[in-house]
Formats: sequence, C-alpha cells, structure tokens
Amino acid sequence: MLQDVFNAVVLGSIYLLFALGMALAWGTIGVLNFAHGVTFMFSAFAAHLVADRVALPAPLIVVLAAAMGALISCLVQALVFQSILRRARNPRAAEMQILIAGIGVAVIPLAIAQRLTNGAPFGFGSAAEQAQVYQVGGLRLTTMALVVIVVGLGLGVGLAWWLKASKRGLALRSIGVDPETASLMGANRTSLALGTMAVAGALAGLAGALLTYQLGAISAETGDVLLIKAFAAIVLGGLGSQAGVIAGAYFIAIAETFVIVNNWGTWADAVSFGLIFLMLLVRPQGLFGRREVRRT
Amino acid sequence: MSLRLRWARGAGVTMIAGLSLVAAACGSGGESTAAESAGDGKLPAEIKLVGVRDTTGPVAYAGLGAVKGTQLAVEEINNSNFLGEGVKITVTEKDSANSIETASSEVTSAIADSGVAAILGPAAGQQAAAVAPVAERSKTPIVFTQAGSDGVVIGKYTFRATSPMDTYYHLATEYLAAKGLKNVTVLYNATFPTFAQLAEKTMPDLAGKSGLTVVSSTAVQATTQDFTSPTRLIAEKKPDAALFFLTAPQSVTALKQLRQAGYDGPVLGTSVQGGGNLKSAGEYGKGVIYPTDFSPAQSQGKSAEFIKNFQAKFNALPDQYAAEGYDAAWWIARAIKASGSATRDGIQQGLAKVAAEGFEGAMGQLGFEGNDMRVPGVLVEWDGEAEKVVTTTP
Repeated sequence: MLQDVFNAVVLGSIYLLFALGMALAWGTIGVLNFAHGVTFMFSAFAAHLVADRVALPAPLIVVLAAAMGALISCLVQALVFQSILRRARNPRAAEMQILIAGIGVAVIPLAIAQRLTNGAPFGFGSAAEQAQVYQVGGLRLTTMALVVIVVGLGLGVGLAWWLKASKRGLALRSIGVDPETASLMGANRTSLALGTMAVAGALAGLAGALLTYQLGAISAETGDVLLIKAFAAIVLGGLGSQAGVIAGAYFIAIAETFVIVNNWGTWADAVSFGLIFLMLLVRPQGLFGRREVRRT
Repeated sequence: MSLRLRWARGAGVTMIAGLSLVAAACGSGGESTAAESAGDGKLPAEIKLVGVRDTTGPVAYAGLGAVKGTQLAVEEINNSNFLGEGVKITVTEKDSANSIETASSEVTSAIADSGVAAILGPAAGQQAAAVAPVAERSKTPIVFTQAGSDGVVIGKYTFRATSPMDTYYHLATEYLAAKGLKNVTVLYNATFPTFAQLAEKTMPDLAGKSGLTVVSSTAVQATTQDFTSPTRLIAEKKPDAALFFLTAPQSVTALKQLRQAGYDGPVLGTSVQGGGNLKSAGEYGKGVIYPTDFSPAQSQGKSAEFIKNFQAKFNALPDQYAAEGYDAAWWIARAIKASGSATRDGIQQGLAKVAAEGFEGAMGQLGFEGNDMRVPGVLVEWDGEAEKVVTTTP
C-alpha cells in the first residue's frame, strides 16, 4: 500500500513537472502552447544527441536540455505567437490562432526526431543507469524518483509562491487578467511574455531530461501523451492556479495508480478523465480556480 | 476512442477511394500495358511495382527497413535475369507518412495507373486495413509486410509477407518449459490488437501446452509511460519469468523499473525488441529473450546469404522489416515467373501458386496459410550489443 502511494506520488510528480511550464504560459499570458510536448521531447532529444557523443555528468545534461527548451520556446514565441498577437483582430481570435499554430509548429521538431531515430526510443546511455535503489522499511526508492518528486514539488510550490508574492509575478498575473490595463500600469507585455515562454520552455526541457532518466528512454511521441495529461491536470486544478496544477497532477496520478493496482489498466485513462468530467460538472472552474465574474 | 476514430476514418477513406477507383479499375481491366516485351516474349521489359510505406513518422523504422529489403531483392532479381533476359522490375516508393488518407490516396493512384502490376502495401495495420478493400475491388495484387490487424488479408488479391507473432511465440514457451520455468507473469499493452491477442488468447493456450502457469496478467494502455506500479505487482509475485508484450519505448521503461522493483529473473519480450530497440535500455536490456521472424544472428541457408548481401549493399545489418520486404519482393518475382505473366491477374494467380508451394527466403523456409505467410521463427537473446540465437536445449 505504502509503495503504491509512493509510486502515485512519483507519477504525479512526472505529470506535474511536465504541466508546470504549460500552466504558467496558459494561466498568465494566455498562451495554450500545444508545442509544449515537442519542446519537452526535442530538448531531451538534443541532450541525447550530445550525450551520445560526449560523456557528460547528469546535471549538465539536465541544464543542457533546459537551455534547449528555453531556446525553442523563445523562438516559437518570437517568430510565431508574437506575430499572431500583433495581427489578430481580437484576443479570442489570437487564442485560437496560437492554439493552431502551436500544433503546426510541433510537427517540425517531431518530424526531425522521428526521422533521426526511425521511431526507436532514445535515452542518455549509461548515464541513465546510475540510479541507486534504496530499501527503506517496506519501500523501494530510487534516487531518480526522489529527484523527480523533490524537483517537481519544489518547482510547483516555488512557482506558485513567486507568482503570488513577487512583483514580477504580480505583473505577469495582471497580464492574464487584463493585458491592456496591465500595459497601462507599466507592465511590459512583450518582454514578460517572452520571459514567461523562456521559463516555460526551460521547465519543459528540465522535465524532458528528468523523465528520460526516470523512464530510461522516451520516444519522439512521448510529449504528445503527456500533453493530454497536463491539459487535464490544469483544467482539473483550475486554470490560473499553480496550486491547482499540483493538485490536478497528483489527483490524476492517484486515480491511475489505483486503477492499475487493481488490474484495470485498460481503464486508466477512462477513469481518470471520467473523474475530471464529474468534477467539472460539479465545479466547472476546477479545484482551485475562481468562478469567472462577468460584468456588463 | 482514438483507435475507433481511426478505424471509422479509415472506413470513410476506403469508401471514398473505392468510389473514385471504379472508373480506373473498369477502364484498365487490370492488364499491364507495357509497350515492349522481353525474355521469352510474354513478359514486358519493365514490370512496375509501387511501394506505399511509412518512410517518415513513428513507424518509419518498419517502412524504411522494408524499402531496403525490397531494393536488395529487386537488384538480385534484375542482375540474375531471374525473369528472363532484359526483364526488369522497378519499384517506385511512396511515403504513406503515418496517414491513412495518404496511404489510401497513394494506393488509389497506383491502381489507377494501368502500368503498375502490383503494390507493396503499408506496414501500419490501420493503413493496410483501409487500402485492402480498395485493392480487392480493383483486382490489384497487394503484398503487405507487418500489418498484423484483422481486415488486411481479405480476399484473393491481398497477401501478407509477415507471420503474426502468435504463430511463432511457441518458441518462447517451449524455451521456458525446457528451462523448467513454470510460473510466468504477463505485462501487455492492451491497446494494440496483436499484443492483446498474444496475452489474452495465445499465451494461455501455449501455457497450457507447455505446462506453464500465468500467475498474473497485467494490461496497460498505449498511453502508459510509467510502470512503477505494474512492475511492483510483478516483482511481488516472484515469477520464474516475466513476459512483456509492449511497444519499444514502453519495454525500455518497464525493464528498468522491473529491475528496480527487485525482480532479477529472466524477461521475455516480442519481436518489437528487435532492430536494436533495446539499445537504449543499456544494462537493463541485457539478457532479454524474444522470438522473432528474422534475426541478423541467423547463420544458415538463405538467411545468411541475405545478411551478407544486405551488409555489402547498405553497410549495416538487416532487421526483420528488411527481411520481410526482401521476401515480399521475391514472392512477387516468383509469382511472375510461376504464372508467366506480369498482368495483375497473372501476378495474383502466381502469388497464390507460390504460396501453395512455399519457398526459402531471408526468414527461412516459408510456408503459407492461404495468402498469409508463416515462418519458422527464431529465438534470440539481446546481449547489450547484438542478438544471438538461443536454442531450447536445456
């Protein structure tokens, strides 16, 4: 039982690590970035290509993947999303165009990775085998699982605190609430958006590297699967709430683990997404989201 | 749900493609219209084939392998004047790009070209199931590789040059029995019909015959990426052997997490582990045993000859997909020779005739059940760098 709880926490941390960057961009600057999955994958893939040629310590590989993620995300923001925001007739049209553009942009790195790997899984070679296994009481723990939990929760809580308590976090949230007024109050929307996307991309890259270590290997399509889970975690937790993302990620993980432990593995997605559906019927704004108030 | 959508979409595409084909099929009458003839005069100088396979996308490894195998076979057929002096086979490859619509469109175009004698079909099951009825209706012979789904070999004109996994999985259970390993666990991806059938139907049957007991059978989905919970359940059972029927990336993760869960017994997989897909598992992949339809470790007969020639041409070892593409092309060449005709009907009759007799190919002595190939199979072990053949002798 305790081992299952620990496994659920590890799985939740995996979903959380992936979802954090996506939630940050969506909940603050309103960018639902469907290229987040390939940013995650391609950052890990780039690090894999380097690790294949040069023996690097694990922390350096993680930093490399995070830097790659930030770079990809900045490029997407500067070359695609920013241009859409400039030209769109209204914010609603911009949101839709960004969503579609994200899907379109995602195809390019995906095709490159598929071409170079021929569909085979990739990892970081022998570096991925360094995880130690510890027996603590009845629990079997691995170093990488602990790293995933600590980094996932640390970043989740840290990001939630930063958004709530810091001046820049407040400026970022103000853009999410009312971009025009925020600009009039002195918040530089363009640079804050670029910075946000850089952080979101770095988080995707970090998640890509850590998950590749945790899973042993990923494939070019791994990001697509996690994208759906992250989307669900954000909606379940409540858009705009980092605490909600944390709760949503662990909620899905616990539901999936419960299903798998009871040998109903083929129902894992149906049960976890069914629970989300029920939750949204009862509380449409999600677990931690605030009810939207429309003024006329 | 996505699979259902794919099937529904595939069915829709099939209907549209079928309607668009009516005129072309009626007009051509399925006859080759090559102007010149060579050899003994019955065959045209050029026999055109079209290959519609994934050379990009997630199953590109299967398509690219099949293309290379076909290239080698065609080179051998042409260089040896197998079909007679001056008779050459040419293959035009089209990328189905992991898309049912693209596969259907390319197959439809090939059928509409009366100069195309036969088609080498896509490896992805959904694509193959979508184009198979189109080929049947237009009376165009199509030879698939992989494409293990139902609804692919559906009539006189549809053929498959890959033996389903369940037809040679007995090699694994016989090995377990020979080693005295009785209690086994199964972890499988229930989303894919091939794995589901292997776990839910074939394995219980084979276990009964070999005196094995399946102590647990755990299903996961195609979306499952973390296996800490399923592998913990397996490790707790302390089986004599653990069997995986998973995709390549899933296998790597499951292997690693199974070892971390404390299980150190033998692990058996499927042919999915072939083609170097266990490389990224590193130490965790060492010692994994799996039956496959072909291995570059085979050292006898036509298989050894194929491996040698493939290495000489591509400077790399062939994988199972290359062997399947090679045998598919040779099957067509033998069919043309057997029927003495390069028309679509002639090739169809020839393919059936060759299937009735069987032949030796890269995958060994090939037999057939109707239009479906059967292979002896080979049991191999991944040693961390390459496959080596395993014998079932204790």
